[in-house]
Amino acid sequence: MESVRFSFPAPEIDESVDELRKEVRAFLKEEVRSGGFIPVTDCWCAGVDPDFSRKLGQKGWIGVTWPRQYGGRDLSALHRYAITEELLVAGAPVHAHWIADRQSGPLILAKGTEDMKRNILPQIAAGKCFIALGLSEPESGSDLASVRTRAARVEGGWEITGTKLWSSGARHCQYMTVLARTGERDPDKRHAGLTQFLVPLDSPGVTVRGIRDMSGVEHFNETHFESAFVPDDAVLGAVGEGWKQVTSELALERSGPERFLSTFIVLEKAMQHSAAGMNGHQAAVFGSILARIRALRAMSLGVAALLDQGHSPEIEAALVKDLGTRLEQDIIERLREFWPIQMKQGYGDEFQSLMSDSLLRQPSFTLRGGTNEVLRGIIARGVGLN
Amino acid sequence: MEQTDQLILDTAHRLFADQCDAETVNRAENCETPDRLWQAIFESGLTLAWVPEAAGGVGGSLALGFNLIRQAASFALPVPLADTLVANLLLAKSGLSVSAGCWAAMAFDGHEVPSLLQGEVSGVVEAASGAPGATVVVVPVLEKEVVRIATFAPSAIDMEHHESLAGEARSRIIFDSAIPSQLSAPVDGMTVDGLKQFCALVRACQIAGALEKITDLTVGYVRERHQFGRPLGKFQAIQHKIADIVGESALTGAAVEQAVRKLSAHPVPFSGDSDMLLPLATAKIVASEAAGRVTRNAHQAHGAMGFSFEYPLQQYSRRVWSWREEFGPEFYWSGRLGMAVASGISSHGSNHGDGGTWDLVSQ
Ligand SMILES: Cc1cc2nc3c(=O)[nH]c(=O)nc-3n(C[C@H](O)[C@H](O)[C@H](O)COP(=O)(O)OP(=O)(O)OC[C@H]3O[C@@H](n4cnc5c(N)ncnc54)[C@H](O)[C@@H]3O)c2cc1C
Repeated sequence: MESVRFSFPAPEIDESVDELRKEVRAFLKEEVRSGGFIPVTDCWCAGVDPDFSRKLGQKGWIGVTWPRQYGGRDLSALHRYAITEELLVAGAPVHAHWIADRQSGPLILAKGTEDMKRNILPQIAAGKCFIALGLSEPESGSDLASVRTRAARVEGGWEITGTKLWSSGARHCQYMTVLARTGERDPDKRHAGLTQFLVPLDSPGVTVRGIRDMSGVEHFNETHFESAFVPDDAVLGAVGEGWKQVTSELALERSGPERFLSTFIVLEKAMQHSAAGMNGHQAAVFGSILARIRALRAMSLGVAALLDQGHSPEIEAALVKDLGTRLEQDIIERLREFWPIQMKQGYGDEFQSLMSDSLLRQPSFTLRGGTNEVLRGIIARGVGLN
Repeated sequence: MEQTDQLILDTAHRLFADQCDAETVNRAENCETPDRLWQAIFESGLTLAWVPEAAGGVGGSLALGFNLIRQAASFALPVPLADTLVANLLLAKSGLSVSAGCWAAMAFDGHEVPSLLQGEVSGVVEAASGAPGATVVVVPVLEKEVVRIATFAPSAIDMEHHESLAGEARSRIIFDSAIPSQLSAPVDGMTVDGLKQFCALVRACQIAGALEKITDLTVGYVRERHQFGRPLGKFQAIQHKIADIVGESALTGAAVEQAVRKLSAHPVPFSGDSDMLLPLATAKIVASEAAGRVTRNAHQAHGAMGFSFEYPLQQYSRRVWSWREEFGPEFYWSGRLGMAVASGISSHGSNHGDGGTWDLVSQ
């Protein structure tokens, strides 16, 4: 019998990572103090502020792992990890650039043309260029391989027709990475014939419409492509390789700290409120949550270390996301015991308002980026069940 | 991990695999003491992993010992290797002699320790481990807030033998003005709370090892067992239970590994220093919570087979159910962790202030 064993090594954290963390922390503290931003829960999805993103760009805190020639700073994944953690726990409005920094930028770096790298990456790093993900469609969610958006070859490029749904932040973005069918559908090879494109959202034939979510934020979008033309060099990666690219892109984004820290800001405030008069029962509830966060963080950092060592810890990353997103939801459910959530924004009180916003946003935690049911399937297959 | 550590772990693994199959574990509970196994462990020197070379031991790192403990638990080793390791470590740390063939029982259960007054020890230890058959009983005692280690010949003290849920020996020992055969000088930096935290991590590592085995058993079982013409593992309901098991087990692994790393970096492992509380409590909380979740899913996936004595799952379930209570269950450590963070934030002159929870949690 094979055995299922994981190990989560400690990443090598040198002084420069700690220095950077301190610097980011101090900057954010000052921003909050001076009214630069108001902390929000689930900030990497609900907090949009392009000006703030530009400020971070000026600080040099976006795209830090990319090569200098493309606007990056050649720093390690752990430098980026520290920055993102600090932004999350401060509730900073980082959604505008989040996807480009985490996902699209690295994708362009790995698969993009030299032009894309030279023109777009420095703009992302400057906090001026934002990218949306065009994966889901009205008829394709978990079953992503069934996308119907088509790209047809025309002279000098491609014509894209179809609808992408739920794309986060698209209205603020200049580009969208679009997964489209370029080859005939083959029931035996469902994953073949898909290609990724980098589409400027101001192309003729593209319309973006905001969709209000249940928390009242117009955060995701519906994007129509009506024979929208893109030139040949808008192909991102290789024609027909879209599925492989998308799955490895998704695998990489599963284990970051945003998969367990989305609601940390609420926990922090709750702790501040009750620290002085904390009773034994409250302490036990907080303690149990904090322990789980610590353990998940060790796991998530372990995945970062494994990636750094050149491994591909796919199951481990899926585990972080499955456990972490459920914890983010649990935190709110458990805090309700002490702070019932009844009013839309409390009574204008900052903490109550963070609580109610968290509750209204939490259904999305276990959906976005691939549902937990799908993740569990990946985990089960990973340990040999299929 | 160092290469020599890995060699020792590999040797131990072979020894356990050779001499500790599921039947041995079940037989041990039916009064057939696994003498051969225990003897082989002594001869291999494994019980001395934490004893310095100068004192005749292996001189292994803290990480080596904790890994050994985790591995032993994944075999449901029916002999008290983990607690003997700790007892020997206490002897070595306090400057008392340790001998290779010496079976040291640990008379410490995380509750109050006996007191020492004018050379005499008095008090009760409710759940000493490994006492029947031991050649020496090791007991931390307290004299004016200072911890010393005392040893007794089993014949010299009053013992009442009981068993844990898993059939592991847990003895009630009454010290009534008993005169120790050896008494150490005060042990530098050692506190009762520090000992308790250390032992909580030992149990957490045991739980981690047992959960790994439960994961393997369950994955193996649902691949083999067919119903409705398919392996159980094809059913999504079962797959999701497996994913839950794998997740909780992996999280426990991550929690104990971070604690072992923190402890290894600390000069005194039994100090009970406040900066050790977070990592150690985290390990025991996560492990104890996982014990319940994993066993529930594993038993469900196993059907009636997992409920039988003959099938090995129950040996692990019963072990983790007793280990999660020993040296403080999740409720106890959660309360302490929560209080520690709260007082870290609100204590006067603390620089944690706003953002203090994160400051403490991310250390
Ligand atoms: C806040 C938010 C942001 C998002 N941002 C983006 C974005 O930027 N770009 C983008 O492309 N998409 C985005 N999405 C969409 C997201 O990727 C999809 O919601 C997700 O992939 C699930 O698809 P669906 O909503 O169509 O649900 P469905 O696939 O219809 O699933 C509904 C339910 O059925 C379950 N289910 C489906 N298939 C199976 C199966 N085989 N086995 C068991 N259960 C199954 C699911 O787990 C789920 O519980 C976002 C979603 C949210 C909530």
